[in-house]
This record gives sequence, C-alpha cells and structure tokens, in this order.
Amino acid sequence: MNLSPDEAQSALEAIQLMTQKTRRSISNSGITLTLFITGVVWLVGYACTQFLTGPLVAYIWAGLSLLGSTLGVLIGSRMGRRVRSPSTSVYARRIGIFWLLLVLYAAAVIAVARPADGKQVTMLIILFIMIGHFAAGMLLSYSYTWWALPVTALALAGYYLLPAYFYLWMGVLGGGGMIALALYIRSRW
Amino acid sequence: MAELNEIIHQPVRLRIMAALVALEPGNEVDFAYLRDLLEVTDGNLGAHLRKLEEAGYIAVNKTFVDRKPRTYVAATPTGRDVFQAHIEALESILKRK
Repeated sequence: MNLSPDEAQSALEAIQLMTQKTRRSISNSGITLTLFITGVVWLVGYACTQFLTGPLVAYIWAGLSLLGSTLGVLIGSRMGRRVRSPSTSVYARRIGIFWLLLVLYAAAVIAVARPADGKQVTMLIILFIMIGHFAAGMLLSYSYTWWALPVTALALAGYYLLPAYFYLWMGVLGGGGMIALALYIRSRW
Repeated sequence: MAELNEIIHQPVRLRIMAALVALEPGNEVDFAYLRDLLEVTDGNLGAHLRKLEEAGYIAVNKTFVDRKPRTYVAATPTGRDVFQAHIEALESILKRK
C-alpha cells in the first residue's frame, strides 16, 4: 500500500479531528450541562436569598436542590449509556458514598463551628461542594475539575470584599458565570 | 518500521478507530452515539464495524439496558496497537517528504 505525503497528511488530519471531536463530545456534553444547571440553581437561589426573607427562601432552595440533583442523576445516567466503563458501577457507588459522607461531614462541621450567620453557613457549604467536585473530578476526569477553582475564588472574593451583597454576588457572578461559561464552551466546541 | 494497514485506512474505518482509540482503554461506546459522532447511517456503520471486528481490531458487545437492546463497541488491544502503527507509518511518510 503506497500513499503520497498529501494523502498521509489528510489521513492524519482526519484522525486528529475525530479524536478531538470524540473527546470533546464525551467530556463536554456532561460538563456544560452540569455547569448550566448548577448556574441556574445558584442564580435563582442566591437572588431569592438576597431579596426574600423567611421560610420561603428555604423552600425555594429545597426545590432547586431537588431539581438540580434529579437533573444531575439524569445527565449521569445518559452519559453512562453513551460510554460504558468496566469500572463505572464501582466508581458510581464509591462517588455516591463519598458525596453522602461529605454532606454528613459538612453538617458536622457546621454544627461544631456554629457559624455566626447565613453567609458563613453558605460559604462553608460552597467550600464543601467545591471540595467534592475536585475530588470527584480527580477520580473521573480532569475536565470535570478545573471550573471549581474560579467559582471558589469568586465565592471567597464576594464573602470578604462585598459581604452586604454576598448572595447577589454569588447568584450573578457565580451562577451567571457558570451559565456564561457553559454557553461559551458549547458554542466554541 | 511501522506499516500502513489497508483495513484501517478506509476513511470511515479510520475515523471509527480514531474515535474508539480516543476512549480510555476498556471503555465501550454506544452504537447510536458512534453513528451520530461519525455522521454515517446505521447500515454503513454496521458494515464497517463488521470488517473491523473480523480483523480483531474491535469488540462488539450486544446487551440489554433497561430491557432495550443496545450495542456497544470498543477497540481491542490489538486494534489499538495496529492503529498506533498505522499513525506511525503515516508520520514516516510525511518525514520522508
């Protein structure tokens, strides 16, 4: 079998294109949807926390958390149907246990630390969630991990620099930022 | 020296192998997902997969998920080696340019 350099070049380009397309399709369809859903939950939830008071805020967060978790499970199962790994079931169980333990540890830390106000509770929860994303990302794929860094930095900046507008900050910059990032990744790739 | 592989070099099969080798070793991809990724028809993809399976470059796993039949496809270790050798052969042609 003989090929000219131009034919070899076009074959290599076709391989490179397909490799990129596959990797992006697998990793980004999950991450963009996760980012978008988390962004919407944060935008609505924190905006409500900033402007509303009383038990209504807790109900809104409970509803949003339920919606976000359900959609997260649906995305996970959809991705699992597309690409299967022999270790998927083992990983899925371990990650589930990990998140459950993380929630229990977060509750224990909040109970022991007795935060002074809602902002401290929120900041602690955000930090625990981001730690969870980092840890899960390290196990599954690095592409799942990196976005937790700027979100953590944004949350800390808002907490220390603009405490009066912390919830609005988290909603618009944290949530809005995630939505914008998801749309950017979607349009770029 | 690495050699070109005639079975793999066919354009659709080249793209199939590129997609499958891009997965983590041991991972398998859904037939319908692969079809959409490659933008080919069911029949076309099925024919090329059979050729690759006969050569031992891919493994086809027919199973049931939620009581629905599903076909998963993965590159075998041999397929990965042959594909890598094919890439090296293509690169060596370019170096001789």
